[in-house]
Amino acid sequence: MKVQESAFIAEKRPLLLKLRDALCAEFDYASVLAEDMTGKHYRVSRHSVSVGEGDTARGFVVKALDKGRYTEYSFTELTEASIPAVTAAVKDLLAADVRPADLGANAYVPPAEEPTVFTGTTEYEIDPEAMGDGAILDKLTALRDKGLAMDEAILDFIAQVTWQRYTKLFLSREKDMTQSVMYLDGAVAAAAAKGQEVKQAYVPCSGLGGLELMDSLEQSVDPCVKTVLDLLDSEPMIPGEYECICDPETTGMIVHEAFGHGVEMDMFVKDRALAPRYVGKYVASPLVTMHDGASSALQTATYFFDDEGTLAHDTVVIDKGVLVTGISDLQSALALGTEPTGNGRRESFARKAYTRMTNTWFEPGHDKLEDMIASVKYGMYLEDPSSGMEDPKNWGIQCMVNIAREIKDGKLTGRIFSPVVLTGYVPDLLKSITAMSDGTELSGSGFCGKGHKEWVKVSDGGPYIKATIRLG
Amino acid sequence: MERILSALKELGVEQYVITEKHTDSLECFYVKKNLDLTRRADTTVTTVQVFRPFEKDGVKMLGDSEATVRPGMPEGEIKKVIEKAWFAAQFVANPWYPLPAGVKGPAKPDEGGFAGKPLSEGMKTMAAALFAADTAKDVFLNSAEIFMRRTDTRILTSAGADVGWERTDVWGEYVCQCPAPVDVETYHQFNYRTPETAALTADAAHALEMTKARARAAAAPKTGTYTLVLDREQMRELLSYYVDRSSSSMIYQKYSPFQLGDNVQGGAAAGDILTIGLKATEPYTGYGAPMADRPLVDNGVLKTIHGGPRFAHYLGVEPTGNYRAVAVPTGDTPMEALTKEPCLYAVAFSDFQMDPLSGHFGGELRLGFLYENGTVTPVTGGSVNGSILDCQDRMTFSAERYRSADYDGPLAVRIEGVAVAGA
Repeated sequence: MKVQESAFIAEKRPLLLKLRDALCAEFDYASVLAEDMTGKHYRVSRHSVSVGEGDTARGFVVKALDKGRYTEYSFTELTEASIPAVTAAVKDLLAADVRPADLGANAYVPPAEEPTVFTGTTEYEIDPEAMGDGAILDKLTALRDKGLAMDEAILDFIAQVTWQRYTKLFLSREKDMTQSVMYLDGAVAAAAAKGQEVKQAYVPCSGLGGLELMDSLEQSVDPCVKTVLDLLDSEPMIPGEYECICDPETTGMIVHEAFGHGVEMDMFVKDRALAPRYVGKYVASPLVTMHDGASSALQTATYFFDDEGTLAHDTVVIDKGVLVTGISDLQSALALGTEPTGNGRRESFARKAYTRMTNTWFEPGHDKLEDMIASVKYGMYLEDPSSGMEDPKNWGIQCMVNIAREIKDGKLTGRIFSPVVLTGYVPDLLKSITAMSDGTELSGSGFCGKGHKEWVKVSDGGPYIKATIRLG
Repeated sequence: MERILSALKELGVEQYVITEKHTDSLECFYVKKNLDLTRRADTTVTTVQVFRPFEKDGVKMLGDSEATVRPGMPEGEIKKVIEKAWFAAQFVANPWYPLPAGVKGPAKPDEGGFAGKPLSEGMKTMAAALFAADTAKDVFLNSAEIFMRRTDTRILTSAGADVGWERTDVWGEYVCQCPAPVDVETYHQFNYRTPETAALTADAAHALEMTKARARAAAAPKTGTYTLVLDREQMRELLSYYVDRSSSSMIYQKYSPFQLGDNVQGGAAAGDILTIGLKATEPYTGYGAPMADRPLVDNGVLKTIHGGPRFAHYLGVEPTGNYRAVAVPTGDTPMEALTKEPCLYAVAFSDFQMDPLSGHFGGELRLGFLYENGTVTPVTGGSVNGSILDCQDRMTFSAERYRSADYDGPLAVRIEGVAVAGA
């Protein structure tokens, strides 16, 4: 079934067209983005049940260019009578005395636009609202009970799922675009105590669609419990450089943190990225081909057009080890004289658009996982990444990984280290990749921040990879 | 508000918390010394939390759920979104607990230094203060984002609360760049409720100096176990272990073993004894009850379990509301003695993290100073991976003070026996 367009957006559409016309008559360039996002979050643990709203947003943002200066105004209420007030607010903002006299201002030209009329919707099988709160909580409760019953050492077992549905309408002089999208993410997580420490394991699920996607959680309960029990015997990591096999989620975090942030082209504008100096050069093993794009995969960061009205792309960032291009929002493309790649994303209508990743992943290779493990003399199998931080200027990398399983003479020994901090110099890490498995998996359960804020939904992944990595 | 109250009455909802928040935000984005974009966000969001008592298997329950009411929503839609939350609440089978009584009172005016002034005035003042530090050619501000935000909050509850308050903040982030000998950058944040221009200029000047040091840092420290000195925002993150572990939700759910009266520092400490106070950063809790400063840990002993009403009731303690800011007494050791060699003074990480469940802390080292053999060497790269459980009885706090939005306490701490993965 196709996701229905928001009734709120449909109702406001005539007013938004009038607002667009009023703004276009006043300014050198103007666009209007309307957003209506709704969702619901369900969580069941040993001692707690909750049903809350997921991320919600309903409002508008206008962007205007006047005498070379861009400005934006976000607001939540639009009526026929308020259209002149919105135009006046934008004018006031352009005239506002906010800048110390000794500081300057950047100048822009209007974007070149092709006439575009577009409507896109994603599809789903099971409507969360039709299934109902009680039935969803019953399914999660059954998962929790199964997890809790598996071992007395389990302190807590959590089952959770969140669905999100949004409609966005983008209008400018040449563009009239609407999209409606629904996605879901969920997880099971187990906790067990080891003295003063509580160890946790986490298995996510995610994708475009509805509640049909949570069925996979049933198969995740056993491995989740097994992993947390394994963690009770974990040891502190012995710092050093290791041959590592990364699972697809850890590969995804490396793709995202190690290289994805480094090719966000708003960083090029600020001279905050090393990548522009390496376009056309080897930055990774020839085995590596890397994509980013809202149309490059079907996951939680899939959309038809970005928050600046640029159609979604499938951008090949690294082709067989050679850096090809970055990814870009509209304003950065104007500053750099390049083409936008459909990566202009806002946390919500109330926030600025930045260059942001979408679905970011490595293409698969031709190796078998068992052969890759067998090829390791001494090393670690890394799984369950929890967070990471970028360093586009210096290509440093930090990823926190929950589990490192020891490999000796090509076999997993059962010895486990946790937690693990994965660090290194990005090209060194990417060039050290010597094997990639023959399948790619993407996970869209996480969010990505720009620095420490501006959270947007992303997915990332790839195959199992073999690389040399510094662990601590 | 009246339309929401009317919908609640029609639906038979007797227990609720309504929170209305209006935000006016002026935002400036700088690239180098040029303003790149000016934004304003004028938004209103009202959340309605409904509570539904029921019985399950003979046990009294209180379920809850929430709805967001948007400006311009017609009455029919307001009723529909609240009705959906009311319906969902019947499935949220949590044992019953009472909602805390709130208070009534006139809206509290903004007590910060930006009160009554146009946001544009504060914006210009703080931008000038930030860029006042940007005077050198070899190191400079690469970019900055400054947000002036005025928020009006009103809370109305079925338990008698009707309160409101206004506050104005300036917050933001900036990146410093030093192109030579190695082109590097460092990332920094700030947050003030008064126009603390001198503090912002001084912090930015310090940040620029640290960035120059990072440009000179050629290598990672050698792999090994170090005496580590952490400072500034790393202090807040390190001590978040004690704040998080003393929350009622973590204690009730047995994620934390802390109990009132426990020595949470692990017994006899060879270093400084820990005292932490919780600082109220809003006048009221989310339930409209007055919020006050409270002692959290006094001489190593847990004095307060903090959090919302549900887990507080289960534990039989007072609901306090949620805290994020802490005050910690400074120690007696000056920085000069704190950095006595050999030690690794880690001043910047890519993202220093404390995991309150395990007590492990760490991150990738962006800049540190290695004090050994009579020299101080800037280092970069590698990672720190420690456990507060292993070192909390040997912490030494600096006599110097550091203040930020959520932290007022020693500038730095010295801890022993921390693993570093380096060269």
